[in-house]
Amino acid sequence: MVTWQNNMAEGEENLLVVIIDCNPVWWGRRQQQAAEPAQIVLSHCLDAIQVFVNSYLMLSHKNRVAVIASHTSKTHFLYPKNMADPRLDQRRGEDGRYEQFATVDDTVVEEIKQFMTSDTTSRELKTDTLLAGSLAVALCYVHRLEKEYQAGQQLNSRVLVIKAAEDSPSQYMNLMNVIFTAQKQNVVIDACILDKESGLLQQASDITGGIYLKIPQMSGLLQYLLWVFLPDLTMREVMALPPKVQVDYRAACFCHRTLIDIGYVCSVCLSIFCSFSPICSTCETAFKLAKPPMFKSKKKKRSLQNGGPSTSLL
Amino acid sequence: MSRSEDVLLMVSHVRHKKVEGTLFLMGERLAWSANSAGERLGVSHNYADIRSQKISPEGKAKIQLQLVLHTGDTCNFHFNNPEGNPEQLKDRDAVKELLQQLLPRFKSQVNKELEEKNRLLQEDPQLFQLYKDLVVSGVITAEEFWTNRAQTKQSNAPKGSQDIGVSASFLADIRPQSDGCNGIKYNLTADIIASIFKTYPAVKKTHAENVPHNLSEKEFWTRFFQSHYFHRDRINHGKDLFSDCAKNDEKDLHKIIQDKVKDSFLDLESLDETSLVKDEGYGNKSADTSTAPKHSVNQAIIRRFNYHSTMVLEACRNKRSSEEDILSLGLGGSGDNSNSSVWSQSLALGPPSKKARLRDAISYEDLGESTATSAPPLSLTGADRYLQGPSAIQQGEYTTSQDIHRATQQVKQEIGGYQADLPNVLPSSLAASVTAELSPGGVLMQAGMQQSLKELIPKDLQDELHSLYAALAELLRHFWQCFPVTTPALEEKVVRMRETLRRFQTTKMQPFQDKLRSQHLPTNLTDHLTEMINNAERKFSTWSKKRGGRP
Repeated sequence: MVTWQNNMAEGEENLLVVIIDCNPVWWGRRQQQAAEPAQIVLSHCLDAIQVFVNSYLMLSHKNRVAVIASHTSKTHFLYPKNMADPRLDQRRGEDGRYEQFATVDDTVVEEIKQFMTSDTTSRELKTDTLLAGSLAVALCYVHRLEKEYQAGQQLNSRVLVIKAAEDSPSQYMNLMNVIFTAQKQNVVIDACILDKESGLLQQASDITGGIYLKIPQMSGLLQYLLWVFLPDLTMREVMALPPKVQVDYRAACFCHRTLIDIGYVCSVCLSIFCSFSPICSTCETAFKLAKPPMFKSKKKKRSLQNGGPSTSLL
Repeated sequence: MSRSEDVLLMVSHVRHKKVEGTLFLMGERLAWSANSAGERLGVSHNYADIRSQKISPEGKAKIQLQLVLHTGDTCNFHFNNPEGNPEQLKDRDAVKELLQQLLPRFKSQVNKELEEKNRLLQEDPQLFQLYKDLVVSGVITAEEFWTNRAQTKQSNAPKGSQDIGVSASFLADIRPQSDGCNGIKYNLTADIIASIFKTYPAVKKTHAENVPHNLSEKEFWTRFFQSHYFHRDRINHGKDLFSDCAKNDEKDLHKIIQDKVKDSFLDLESLDETSLVKDEGYGNKSADTSTAPKHSVNQAIIRRFNYHSTMVLEACRNKRSSEEDILSLGLGGSGDNSNSSVWSQSLALGPPSKKARLRDAISYEDLGESTATSAPPLSLTGADRYLQGPSAIQQGEYTTSQDIHRATQQVKQEIGGYQADLPNVLPSSLAASVTAELSPGGVLMQAGMQQSLKELIPKDLQDELHSLYAALAELLRHFWQCFPVTTPALEEKVVRMRETLRRFQTTKMQPFQDKLRSQHLPTNLTDHLTEMINNAERKFSTWSKKRGGRP
């Protein structure tokens, strides 16, 4: 029988930050294909996430949660809100729901409506989700909360990214920085991928020790969330979860930006190339490859032995 | 031939293999030649070859000496002096004693190499396994095996031998055993004798003077223990052999007390202020303890303890003769070359060296300013190359601005009319199918199900594969080291290595593969090994083809 320590008694609290990819371009297109039963629309996804958050809050009094929406042009906290809303207090006791659930759910719904229907989204024409930005905001939130804790109390935090759109290569550097920061801060990044595999999030979950899962059936999102991402970090060791994927850590060559296994590295500036060139294009250092000495000595030997013009080597 | 052929001992009437002859002990070897001119029987053994000697036990009629060589052969010499047994005994004992002194000198040279090899083999079980696999089964010769290890051997050899220090309790370790009838037996080993000599050079002097002229070893030591020099209470009897030693010890003790401690950092007395502040009538001049009565027994014992400790420390400090130590202690930096005097000289220099020592003790170079020389600056063109990641593998779908607009409008509409419908978010059938996917055996859990090779293949086969790899790697290393082939020796080696590889394949790999097959295990475990061997074969064939044109 495997035993694990329940950390609840020791002043440890858990924080879950959910980052929802609300890329309108992607979701809008999905909606056009909504005829197929396996596809879901954004509202369905939001429903699933709300149930998931409620389940998470139900696990323990001390669990805390934050929800962030990630858009093509900005990032927004869906919960908790910036300012205390007096109307929420009025709603207490209106329906039979548990108050904390009511607070979270209603806040999320209101905020997402406001966020998605605001005007600014119509002017920009970008199609990439600002994932790096949202992760950075999440990490800042985690950092701020950790500061509010005294010595002896600990906050275990993790970030769950529900990703819809594809990776955007322009955010590569920022994302890597965020990932390493998370690793330093002991924040675990999990990834739940709806559509196409994302190499960057694979790396993120591998480096920080989180779970990466691409779900085959999008409409069953809630079940995946509850099964895989609901238990906290200490419980994960004793559960039979989907095994880790092989992460592609290959470097990209500087000339073509393709991933290579074997390449040439300049010893001065450490830039990577896929083919040999005598001058490194970043630091202008000239390189010489030594010629193999074997042929010269063999020729000499031959001419000595034969005493005449050396016969050519095959 | 410049061997030292000085004859150290010559013993006649020695029989070897039933033939009378004469035994000669030379500088570096032992030789025996037959007396009769007709038979040219001669035997010669270097001392280096002789592992040990044995003598026939006392009381036997035949007086014999046996030499055991390193190779295991034995050589018997029968001492047949016609004058009778005691003479024979004397002859043999003389030979034995001389050999005892000579053998250790030569022993160390040869044994060291063998011992080194044995030690290496014992310490590294993998090396031992490799050795067993390759040399014992005849795939490779022992010399080749060891030539490649020679580099590692030399680097591992201990750098110089260390002297064993003197244990401070060596005198106490000679525990006397009561003999039963009023006698006491002391057990003296060579180590204890060496310690006594190192610590008490006066005893060594006395020993050198008296033994073997006046007294035998046994008598010397008996006297030593009997003398009150050794006893707790040293009451001077005057007639003793060791009374000189006792007197010298007292003298040394006084000298040591008189000399201040050399190192001004360790001298506690110099901290005493009475040396600076003259007696100003406050009565702070300490009583002079040096004229304290010496007849107090306790004082004497304590003094002897201190002296003993001092002598032990002195013996350990300087490897050279400890007489110099005593001299240097007394003279204090008179310029002889022992370590202690150099040290004391530097201390006698005073303030400059003191400052240097203080500075060494308090400054760490890590904490100081780093004196890194500035390297030439790196000039990069296009540094933003480092900041980009790999390009997207699949080409992004191109979207027109119209598409974007349409999509965003749709989403806005949808979210605008969004009502949370939490109870109906997940139909049970869907939940069940997802659960099936995530359970062990489901679609998402397939990767963890494959049984790793580790569990599939039994441990002993794994170990055998491991040792096969190690052996093959060693052979291949020898093989590939021969290229490029420049000398005829390398050519021969290449040919030989190829034969060795072939032999390895038949003697080692085939049985392993058969074993795998008999146990119905996948034989592609050995694919990599065969691939490496094939590469080597191919290289050899191309090389021999190229070389084929030449004579």
